[in-house]
Amino acid sequence: MKVSYYPGCTLKTKARNLEDTAIGALAVLGVELVELPRWNCCGAVTSLAQDDLLHMLAPVRDLIRAKEQGSDKLVTICSMCYNTLARANLLMRNDAEKRDALNRFMDEEPDYAGEVEVIHLLNFIRDEVGWDKLRAAVRRPLTGLRVAPYYGCTLVRPAEVAIEPAVDATVFEKFIEALGAQLVHNPGAFDCCGSYQILSHPKQALAASAELLGKAKNKGADVLALSCPLCDYNLGKRQNELVADHGLESKLPTIYFTQLLAVALGLDSSLCHFELNHEGTRSLLEERNLISTVAV
Amino acid sequence: MPYPQALKELIKKVEATRPERVARKKKGEEVPFMSLDERAATLQFHPDVKEEGRRALLVGPSKGYRLAHEYADLLEAMPRVDPDKVDLSTPHIETDVLVIGGGGAGTAAALLAQEQGAKVLVATKLRHGDANTMMAEGGIQGCSKGHKDSPYYHYLDVMGGGHFVNVPELVETLVTEAPDVLQWLEHLGMNFSKFPDGRLKTMHGGGTSRKRMHYAADITGAEIMRTIRDEARNRAADITVLEFSPAVELILDDQGKCAGALLYNMETEEYLVVRAKAVVMATGGSGRLHVQSFMTTNHYGATFDGVVMAYRAGVPVCFLHTIQYHPTGVVFPEQAEGILITEKFRGIGANLVNVEGNQFVNEREPRDVEAAAIIKECTKKGLGVPTPTGRFGVWLDSPMIEDLHGPGTVEKEFPGKHILYERFGIDISKEPMLIYPTLHYQNGGLEYQSDGSTRIAGLYVAGEVGGGVHGENRLMGNSLLDILVFGRLAGAAAGVYAKAKGASLGKLSLDHVRVFTKELQESKVGADRVSPLLLPDYTLLDTKSRQLTSHYVGSLR
Amino acid sequence: MSTTAPIGEDKIVAKVTSKHVPIYVMGKRYDVPDSLTIMKAMEYAGYKFIRGCGCRGGICGACGTVYKKPDDYKIHVGLACQTVVQEGMHLTQIPFYPATRTVFDYEQTPAVAEAVFKAYPELFRCVACNACTKICPMDVPVMDYVAAIKRGDFEKATELSFDCIQCGLCASRCMAEMAQYHIAQMVRRIYGGKIKPKATHLAVMVDNVKAGKFKDGLEQLKKADVATLKQLYMSKDAREIEPNMSEDEWVPTNNAYL
Repeated sequence: MKVSYYPGCTLKTKARNLEDTAIGALAVLGVELVELPRWNCCGAVTSLAQDDLLHMLAPVRDLIRAKEQGSDKLVTICSMCYNTLARANLLMRNDAEKRDALNRFMDEEPDYAGEVEVIHLLNFIRDEVGWDKLRAAVRRPLTGLRVAPYYGCTLVRPAEVAIEPAVDATVFEKFIEALGAQLVHNPGAFDCCGSYQILSHPKQALAASAELLGKAKNKGADVLALSCPLCDYNLGKRQNELVADHGLESKLPTIYFTQLLAVALGLDSSLCHFELNHEGTRSLLEERNLISTVAV
Repeated sequence: MPYPQALKELIKKVEATRPERVARKKKGEEVPFMSLDERAATLQFHPDVKEEGRRALLVGPSKGYRLAHEYADLLEAMPRVDPDKVDLSTPHIETDVLVIGGGGAGTAAALLAQEQGAKVLVATKLRHGDANTMMAEGGIQGCSKGHKDSPYYHYLDVMGGGHFVNVPELVETLVTEAPDVLQWLEHLGMNFSKFPDGRLKTMHGGGTSRKRMHYAADITGAEIMRTIRDEARNRAADITVLEFSPAVELILDDQGKCAGALLYNMETEEYLVVRAKAVVMATGGSGRLHVQSFMTTNHYGATFDGVVMAYRAGVPVCFLHTIQYHPTGVVFPEQAEGILITEKFRGIGANLVNVEGNQFVNEREPRDVEAAAIIKECTKKGLGVPTPTGRFGVWLDSPMIEDLHGPGTVEKEFPGKHILYERFGIDISKEPMLIYPTLHYQNGGLEYQSDGSTRIAGLYVAGEVGGGVHGENRLMGNSLLDILVFGRLAGAAAGVYAKAKGASLGKLSLDHVRVFTKELQESKVGADRVSPLLLPDYTLLDTKSRQLTSHYVGSLR
Repeated sequence: MSTTAPIGEDKIVAKVTSKHVPIYVMGKRYDVPDSLTIMKAMEYAGYKFIRGCGCRGGICGACGTVYKKPDDYKIHVGLACQTVVQEGMHLTQIPFYPATRTVFDYEQTPAVAEAVFKAYPELFRCVACNACTKICPMDVPVMDYVAAIKRGDFEKATELSFDCIQCGLCASRCMAEMAQYHIAQMVRRIYGGKIKPKATHLAVMVDNVKAGKFKDGLEQLKKADVATLKQLYMSKDAREIEPNMSEDEWVPTNNAYL
C-alpha cells in the first residue's frame, strides 16, 4: 500500500531517528510512505496564531501538493506537523470566508477545500494495518520493557483534530501493547511539555517537563514514548537541567514510537539513530537485550 | 516569434536527412577533419583576412601594426580628461593593489593578491561580475584524467588552434596550471557537473584531442563567477569593490612605474585619483565595438578600455589582427540575435547543416575554421538558409541530440537555451536552431609575461585584455581557463610586488598621456575621437539628430 | 567620438519593418517596434543605459524588469534583454535592490544546516507566500528551495536554485525580508565544496603536475619548430583523437606523454 507522506523539517535534520524508523518499519508492514515531491515547512506554531491568515499558506500548500498527487490521505508523523496540517485542513473545510481568501491569494495554485485527510501515523497503523497484523509482524517482542505513552498536547488538542478524544484515547496504549511491551498507564500522558515556552518562560516550561516526567517515573516506567521532536527537545534533551534544578529525581529515557516499532520488527538498530536520543535510551535497550551492543 | 511557415518548410529538409546523420554519428563516422591546407583555403572566408577591414597604427608602441579600424579608432583617440586638470598630489584613494575590472580575471586576481596580505581595490565599470565570464557557457579546459590526457596534449591542441604562433611560455603556463585551477574552483564550492562518485564530466570542444572540457550544466561561466565573487565578498575587509567606476587612464610615477589609475564615477561624473603600488589590468574584451558590423555575444561593457589605457602608457599589443567569431550565434529569431549558442551543442553531437539539409563541415574544427566554413557555405556556395530578417544562416540540428542521447537530453543539458527559445515559441529539442558566426573574442591584446607582468613595472595583465596565449585563435574552454590561470598569477605577483620591502612610489604623473596626445597631434589623427569608449552607443541616428545640446550647463546633460 | 554613425545594433532595429506599439517606461509613453526586446526598445526610444544593462544575454541579472498589462492585476516580470515588448505594457526596471548578505569564513564553515541558519535566521520568517517564485524571471522555484534549505537538504536546494541569476527580484518581494539568492549561494558553495564527492582523478593530476611529471614533454614542445609542431599536431599517432561518443573508458594507444 502507498500513501502520501509529509515529513516535516525536523524529521530531516534533528529527528532522523523519527523518520527513518517510521519508513523502515512501515515498509515491513507493507506500507510505502511516498514523500510529497514538493513541500515546505508546515508553519509549526506560527500557524496557530488566531488571526494570521498568512501563516496558513504554508500548511495549505502542503495539502494542495498531496491533492495534486491524486491522494485523499496524507500521513504525517511529527505531532506538531500533524496538528498544524490538520487544523489548516479543518479551516479550509469549515470556514468558507477564509478558504476563499486563501484560495484567491494563492492564485497560482488549484483551489482547495479540505479534500485531503490528514492522518497521524498512529491512527494510520490502527486503521490501515490493524493491531492483529502488527502483533503478528513483531519479531522481537519488547517483553519486560515498561513503556509509558506520551501524547502531549498536539495529538489531542483541540478536540476537532484529536487523533482520539483526549481522556479516552487508547491508540498509543494499544500500539505499545501490540509490540509486546509492558504498558505503564501514564497520568501525565496529556500534560504539556512546556513547548515553545522554553524560549519565553524557560523556568515554567522546565518545571512542567520535570513534573510530567516524574509522574511517569513514579508509575515505574523504563522509558517514555513520544511522537514529537519538539516535545523530545524539552523532555529528552534537557534532563540534566531538570535533575539539577527542577526537582526531577532521576532520569527517564525517551524514545520515538517509531523507534519502538523498528526495534520490535527486528530492523537493524542503525536505522534508529540512537545517538540523536536521550543518552540513556540506547543503553536501556542494550541492557534488555532488545538491540545488540555495538562498539561506538 | 516562432519559425514562420517558410522556415518550417525548410526544416523538413533537415528532418529528412537526420536519421541517416544520426546513424553515422552513432557508428562514429564523422565528416573528416580538414588538412592544414584545407583549413588555410577555408580561412580565406574569415573576416580577419579582409584587408579593407584594417589599417596600420600611426602612433604608440606598436606603430605600423595593422588591425581592425574599430580598434585603431580607439587606440588613436584623445584622452577623456585633460591631464592638466587632474590634481595628483592628494589621491582620493590609496591601496596596495588596484584591480581594474570585476570579471573572472579581476576577481581571481583580487583573491590571490589579498592572500599575499595586500589591501585590494577592484574598480569595475558595471557591477561586480558583469563580464563575459558570466556568459561563458560551454566549459573550462584542463587535463584532469591522467589515463588519457596530460598537459602535453593540451599544449598541442592550444598551439594547433592558435596556428602555432602562440607564445610558448604562456601556453605552458596555461596548461600546467589548469588542473590546479580546477581544483581551486572545486574547493571553493563550484558545482561542476559530476558523476555520483565525484568524477568530473568532460566532453570535447572544437580542436580538442581529448575530452577535457569541464562544465556546470550550460552556465559554467556564471557558476564560476558567482562562486569566486561570493568568496571576494567574504573578504570584504581586505577587498573593496567600486562599481560603476571604470578606469579611464593609468597613472605612472616619475620613474615610469605604474602607480594607480584615474577612475570615473559614471553616476556622479567625478574623476577619482587612485594611488596603488601595483595595478592589475583585467578589463576583458571588445565585442561591443562590432568590428565589421558583426553582431556580438559580448556583454555591454566589452569596449577595449584596458588595451587603450595601457597602450597609451607604453605597453605594445599583439595578435590583435585576429578576432574570434563564434561559429554559432543566433541569427533568428531577431530578439536573440547575436546570442551565443554554446559549442557544447556540437560537442555532444549536433550537426551543422545547410539549406538542403546536408552536413558540410565537421562540427569540431577550431572556431575560426568552423566560422569561415559557415560564412563560405552562405556566401560562395549560396547554400545558406534565408531568414525573414534578410540574413542568412545555417541550421544547428539540436533535435538529433535527443536521438543520440535519449529524449529529454536537450532540456537537461541546455536548460538555459531551452528556456530562451521556449519564450520565442520554439522547442529546440524538436526544431533546429538558425545560426551564423558572431563576434566573440579578442584573441590578442596587451603583451605580458607568464606572471602577468608587462614592460611597465607594477602593471600586470590578466585575461582577455592580454594577447599571446591563444595565438591567432582561441579554443573553446580556454578563456575561462585563461582568466583564472593568469588572474591568479597576476594577482599573486601584484600582491607580492606591492608588499615587497622598498615598494615605494615616486611622484604621480600623467605625462605619458601628454606625450601620447602630442604624438597624435603630430600624426594628425584622432582629434575627433575620445577613448576609452566605456559603453557602446546604440542611439538611433534619427534620435541623435534631435539631441542638439551643444554645451552642457548645470545638471542637464 | 566619431559622429558619423552609431555602431552595430542599430542596423538590427532598422532592418525590420514591424508594427509600432505604445509602451510606458516608468509611466511615460514611447512608440516602439513590436519585435524588439524591452532593452532594445528603450534604446530605440533614446535611453542610454548605465545601470539595468549587463550581458544582454539573459544570465547576468542586471536588467530585471517588472511590468503590468492593461487588463490584469498581475505583476509580470522578465529580463529586459530577453522579453519582447507588448502593446500597452507599463514597465520599470529594478536594476538593484538592497539585500542582506552575511559574511562567512568559507574555510571554517562546517557543512551543516545550522551554519546557514545561524547566518540567515530570517529563513524561518518564510510563510510560504510564494511571491518570490512568482516574480522570478528565470522560473526558479524560490519558495521550494527556501523550504529545502530549511530542512537542510542542500543537494535539493542546489539543484532547484541552480539557474538563479541573482537579480534580486525575489528579495524585493519577500515579506520575510530575506535575500533568498544570497542564502542559496552560500548553500550551493557548501554543497559543491564540502558535501558533493571530490574528483580524485583531479587531485592525482595536480600532484603529478607538481611533481614535474610532464616537464620534459612540454620542454620538447616548447623547443619544437613550427614544422615539427604541425607534424605532431596532425599525426594520428602523436595526437590521437578521443572518439566523440566515448566515455572515460577510452585509452589512447600511444601513452608516451601521459
